[in-house]
Amino acid sequence: MTVLHELAPGRIPVRFEHEALFYRGEDDFLAGLLPFVREGLELDDVVVVAEPRPRLELLRDALGDDAGAVQFLDMAEIGVNPARIIGVWATTLDEHTRAGRRLRGVGEPAFSGRRPAEFAECELHELLLNRAFDDGPAWRLLCPYDEDRLPRAVTRGALHTHPIRSTSADRVPSSHYAADGVADAFAATLPRPTDAVLSGVFGPDDIPATRRTVAQYARRCGLSEEQVEVLELAASELATNSIRHGGGSGTVAMWLEAGAAVVEFSDSGHVTDPLTGRFRPPLDSVGGRGVYLVNQLCDLVQLRSSARGTSIRVITWR
Amino acid sequence: MRAHGVLSGFPAAGTSDHVCWVYDDDAAFGAAVREFLIGGLERGERLLCVGERVIDSLRGQLPPFGDIDALIADGTLETLTLAQAYEAAGPFGPANLLGYYDSATRRALDAGFRGLRVIAEVTALAADPSVRPELVRWEHVADDYIAQGTGFTAMCAYSGELTREALADVAAVHPLVHGPDGVPSFRVFFDDDRLVLAGSVDTFGADRLARVLATSPVAGDGAVLDLSLAEFVDVTACRVLAQWARDLQDRDLDVEVRNASPLLRRMWRILALDEFVPVQFAGAAA
Repeated sequence: MTVLHELAPGRIPVRFEHEALFYRGEDDFLAGLLPFVREGLELDDVVVVAEPRPRLELLRDALGDDAGAVQFLDMAEIGVNPARIIGVWATTLDEHTRAGRRLRGVGEPAFSGRRPAEFAECELHELLLNRAFDDGPAWRLLCPYDEDRLPRAVTRGALHTHPIRSTSADRVPSSHYAADGVADAFAATLPRPTDAVLSGVFGPDDIPATRRTVAQYARRCGLSEEQVEVLELAASELATNSIRHGGGSGTVAMWLEAGAAVVEFSDSGHVTDPLTGRFRPPLDSVGGRGVYLVNQLCDLVQLRSSARGTSIRVITWR
Repeated sequence: MRAHGVLSGFPAAGTSDHVCWVYDDDAAFGAAVREFLIGGLERGERLLCVGERVIDSLRGQLPPFGDIDALIADGTLETLTLAQAYEAAGPFGPANLLGYYDSATRRALDAGFRGLRVIAEVTALAADPSVRPELVRWEHVADDYIAQGTGFTAMCAYSGELTREALADVAAVHPLVHGPDGVPSFRVFFDDDRLVLAGSVDTFGADRLARVLATSPVAGDGAVLDLSLAEFVDVTACRVLAQWARDLQDRDLDVEVRNASPLLRRMWRILALDEFVPVQFAGAAA
């Protein structure tokens, strides 16, 4: 439970603090961000800013000479699939914690212009951040939300996913924060396809045929050869997971949406850890690489699982 | 690159043939024996037939095998039952077999032949799970010897009644394979100074690849693996390659990977396998 006296400016965090900053316009963005970044530098924190490029450049210019002490990451690059972002923060946190430094981060995954499916994954990502880092080293992560340009549902959702909400003027606990929301979000049913769906069932002997089928479909959709190869690999990994961990068989479904080719694998297994595939596997681990690799290679990946079964939807932008 | 591929018909005889031929019945087996040996005769090679089934199939063959006894008498054709072969080479294992076939090849060359062409029917060895690993090791070592241009060529015949697992194990270490559809999914063979991985390796074949690589002979300072014929390599297979490189590194041997696809190299970076083991990538991929 975050209490008010823990939120005073300049206070050194004693736990992971995950905060949504709501802003309107560039001046308000800077009014919220500049004090946060400069305070971090004064406290000798390692400050890492992950913003889409226009906002990143705006902040860098406004920081002037201080920008040299800040590490900037392009959120449109590291967060193209939001399921990759926790891995970036985890690696960054681990590196600096080992070096005896404290981390202070800025991350704006839900930036204007993203598609509805991306916003859905951003919301799940924000929820999972709490689970990923609540029990680890103390650090602060500030997530800006553009109230002028984002859909209302996205900014409202941020109140449920962040324990702390702030503006350039104040910083308070979010009364809407749902610490247990991750279970429901991870178990949610994804929107059904509205167009024709090609689907088939596969078993243990069908992995090569399944990946070939997905590759053929991807080619027919006009995807580039690089995208086809990535989807073929993803199909092999996900179908293998269904065989190994999902009851020994599964279903593959493929369809087109506006601007996207979609491939979805479903099986009767239950992925009990919603953070599956978000952290880079240890170098000496034997398994557990498939979903991580799919997250890293594919444009957007939506994993949902409950006792009813598991679906993992891979979206490739056309 | 030496002759390689999945065969639908019988290939023309070449200087470094190493064929795995899976047959369905006596007629198919006899035809394969005939084709392989005719290629050897035309090339001026000595023929060595190993296994009772091969010897039996020679009888009743059409010319030029009409007079088997004459071919045996002039030293062109030699036969060994499996028992005789074991007796001649000593206990079954790659070192003994290599020594035996190296001597036999040299004798053939010294006698004026262009090489030694061996056909062996070794289904019984592949069928025995306790012997099969040594058989696979021997096949792989033999492939290295063949690839060096020693004059030794071979066809290894296996009955299609073997399990798919057994067939995949033995077929995977031949450059030329005639087998059931989809068997093997990948092949590992030697070409000049390098090892070539051809075909597709996924999670379900990765253990087999690991077994082959673990016993693969390495000469000089290290190994070179050519992936130009690799059609598909998944995460588990990538991990197998990295573990192989790590094991060689522990023996102070380097690994160079040539012609890896851009996707494989991307996968390698994503999985941080370059932190697990230093591997030099060269060729093709951007």
